[in-house]
Amino acid sequence: MDLNIDNLLVIKIAGVEIWITETIFNTWLIMLLLVALAVVARIKLRRFKEVPTGFQNVIEAAVELFDNFAVDTLGEKLSYIAPWFFMVFSFILSSAWLSIFGMRAPTADWVTTFALALATFILMIFMGFKHRRGNYLQSLFEPHPIFFPLNLIGELAKPVSLSFRLFGNMLSGTIILTLYYALTPRFVQFGIPALLHGFFDILIGSLQTYIFVIVSLMYIKSAAE
Amino acid sequence: MYTMIVFSAQALPEGRVFGLDTQTLIGIGIQLLNGIILAVALGFILYKPVKEFMQRRTERIRSKINEADAAMAKANELIAEYERKIKEINKERLAILEAANLEVAEERKRILDEARKEADEIRKRALEKIAEDKKHLEKETRLYIIEVASLMAQKYIAQSMDAETQERLFEEALAQLEAAQWQN
Repeated sequence: MDLNIDNLLVIKIAGVEIWITETIFNTWLIMLLLVALAVVARIKLRRFKEVPTGFQNVIEAAVELFDNFAVDTLGEKLSYIAPWFFMVFSFILSSAWLSIFGMRAPTADWVTTFALALATFILMIFMGFKHRRGNYLQSLFEPHPIFFPLNLIGELAKPVSLSFRLFGNMLSGTIILTLYYALTPRFVQFGIPALLHGFFDILIGSLQTYIFVIVSLMYIKSAAE
Repeated sequence: MYTMIVFSAQALPEGRVFGLDTQTLIGIGIQLLNGIILAVALGFILYKPVKEFMQRRTERIRSKINEADAAMAKANELIAEYERKIKEINKERLAILEAANLEVAEERKRILDEARKEADEIRKRALEKIAEDKKHLEKETRLYIIEVASLMAQKYIAQSMDAETQERLFEEALAQLEAAQWQN
């Protein structure tokens, strides 16, 4: 493992250099895995039974749990954006779990976390204007117009804090594990790292996934209501 | 417009942990695009169909529950109706029984009265017959006594008087007897 995010390929499109980093490659890998899983589930959906068992149970539980979670947090009115956050949830969780296999989590790169936080920010503004129209803009001038700069900074800080929270947590796990692998002798690199991976990748990763999604949903809800 | 894609495997830029430059912006753009593609793919392939499947199943189960509830309500109505009918039948049965009991009691009374009346009639007729028989017997007894007395008298007279006196006394007694019979 390396602390740096390696560049695997450089593409030049119309003279613009694009670095295909380890993050982007791992993101595509996760996308491929998730889409493959979705396709398998879609194929098996035709044979889904009235009483779920096995694989059907897992898929139904995942979708139902997330849908209930989104409806409970956003309310029925705003729950139509749940599929986006289903993707965010699946992606961040898969990213964290990818680290178990010694690969760098895409969420341990600020580019990924900021992209997701930016999407939340865009959705927040869009939903604010869609559901509250002028009132959303007016809320930036409350309780007095003099507070506008503070409110604006508060709004702009949301995606930044959201992205850095996830990035920091995921990077910390990556740093600790990288240091462990780099500094310890080979004979202690079996068994013990499993505990560290379990803590940083599974526990912290799942917790941060939940935090990112629920905070994003709360931002959107507060903007739209 | 000149568009060309060049893949470069040589002289790759050095990796980094964090940076704020054009490549960061490009990376954010690519990740945002990746996110949108993944959201659309997962939404259309997995999330929406599974949710629709579960909603359809929920509807099916709800309709089955509703049907079961309706059937239960109908069954309860039928039970209530049957219970009501049973009650009515019981009431009717009791009424019929009561009427029958009354009728039986009346019939019993009537039969008893008739029997009593008939018994009284029979008794009365028997008493009348007894009285009649008694009279008849008294009459017969009287005649028999008379006859016996006559015979005794005849024997006594035959032993103690002559034929002429005997003839005269007989004629007198016969005349008295006829006179008494005519008076009765």
